[in-house]
Amino acid sequence: MKIGVLFSTTGPYGAMGRDARDGTHFAFEELARTSDVSIEPVFFDPHADLAAYLEGARQLLRAGCRHIIGTITSAARKEVIPLVEKHDALLWYMCPYEGFEANENVIYVGGCPNQHLIPLFEHLIPKYGKRPYLVGANYVWGWEMNRLARELVTNAGGDVLGERYLPLEETAVERIIADIEQRRPTFILNNLIGPSSYAFLEGIKALADRDPGFRAQNCPVVSCDLMECELDDIAPGAAIGQLCAASYFDSIATPDNTAFKARVAARYGSSRRVSGVFASAYTAARLCADTIVAAGSDDPVATKAELHSKSWPTLFGSLVVDRETNHAALPFHLGRINADNAFDIVASRPPLAADPYLTRRNAPASPKLRVVS
Amino acid sequence: MRETPNFTGWRVTILHREDGNTERLTRQLRLLGLQTKLQWSTLSAAELPDLVIVDADQGWDNLLPWNGGTPNCPVVALLGSEAPGRIAWAMEQGAGSIIAKPIAASAVYPALVMAVSIHQERKAFAQRLQYLEERVRLRPLVHAAVDKLMVARAIDEDRAYAILRDCAMKRRLPMEQIAAFILGGAEPLPEAG
Repeated sequence: MKIGVLFSTTGPYGAMGRDARDGTHFAFEELARTSDVSIEPVFFDPHADLAAYLEGARQLLRAGCRHIIGTITSAARKEVIPLVEKHDALLWYMCPYEGFEANENVIYVGGCPNQHLIPLFEHLIPKYGKRPYLVGANYVWGWEMNRLARELVTNAGGDVLGERYLPLEETAVERIIADIEQRRPTFILNNLIGPSSYAFLEGIKALADRDPGFRAQNCPVVSCDLMECELDDIAPGAAIGQLCAASYFDSIATPDNTAFKARVAARYGSSRRVSGVFASAYTAARLCADTIVAAGSDDPVATKAELHSKSWPTLFGSLVVDRETNHAALPFHLGRINADNAFDIVASRPPLAADPYLTRRNAPASPKLRVVS
Repeated sequence: MRETPNFTGWRVTILHREDGNTERLTRQLRLLGLQTKLQWSTLSAAELPDLVIVDADQGWDNLLPWNGGTPNCPVVALLGSEAPGRIAWAMEQGAGSIIAKPIAASAVYPALVMAVSIHQERKAFAQRLQYLEERVRLRPLVHAAVDKLMVARAIDEDRAYAILRDCAMKRRLPMEQIAAFILGGAEPLPEAG
């Protein structure tokens, strides 16, 4: 049986793509050693070209894959979904995303805003005040995360002091930094991606060096998509003290994670840190393979039924995928970047069921029209 | 858009024959938090839901109680056909958005948000229009009151109009109403202060 793996190892989110690819490969290597079911991963690299994702998915499906693990960005996922639907295949998506999707042909192992952004703001607002500054990459992730952040802040009676966007690979952050210096927010939500994000963190560090009001303990920069595998790409020391929300950090102190890290170290060397995207890709690949083995077939309907039928032991703990939304329940962790380029966990919550359309938040007792203009 | 649209607890009636499309639609609506009812018969004005989703391929006149008039709730049309007559029918029923058949799960939420928003917008426009029409209808009263003030206080038209407007603002009433009061003698003639 073949399973497709679709990640871009180059481009603005190449570091994440490489770790995702490695995470799936590591899962299949382990599986080959411990199971007699033969599963062959088929890898395709679209090299950050959106059109190539569609071609890649087509090739994988034609090669006989009925499951595809992959895509990092929402744009790429949206590109691939129609083809996956047409072939009655299953896409295993494992990145945090902005929510507002629940497709029958997609399993969501990443996490949507009620699992990252909302608990994050519930933690940040009491601690750092309700006057944030929002920055983001100029595409749907940045826009939608910041839209929701603005809603959360407004509902809490706060004020968004500024909202700025940068094109995906843009690293000229000077004007945003100058604006932040002038407006003096109480914290900064960073939804930039890759090199933009690294440049921004370095810019904030330079600002904090001349104005202590912008040091991490006073005005933290908080990200929802910064990972261990990226920290080495940021100027040494620049991001220390800044915060990040995720469902997994390398530093999680569970016996399962310790054992997992030992196995990764044996395979890739002890200097390699396990990133959230590596762990998620590994988890998605294991879930996919384990459900295929349990179902005795790679028929997507059978594997999905198997997946929904019970909870699965994973790196994230015992994991349940909701039958209605196809989303995994995920824990929430808040990490603080330390001097070793790792995250110290400063807050955690047990697994939260996904609410991709935010229907359970402020549920009105009777229909009340909301102004939508 | 500031608030995230939330349809939790809404009642929706789907007017369509039961098939694979309605199955997918119902699943998606349920996970959006709506209570669904599927029927392929005339919708009674007595049991209006919060939202109607109607098959514009097969729908007939009188299927909806407003039948071409102003809809009492937001309407979404389901449409597989591209025939102009069917599109026109959907619009006549007040559809604010269309979900193409076969239904893609990702089409449902955007269609609801749009139909609800358009319904609200139309309602607000209709109310505004009604208000303006009323004011236009009563405009001659304002002219008459201005004339009366000009004569009584020996002032020019601009001044008389300003006095009337100030009076309306102070009383928080439309000018037309103040004018009617003045002409009817129910309101003392405002001073040229």
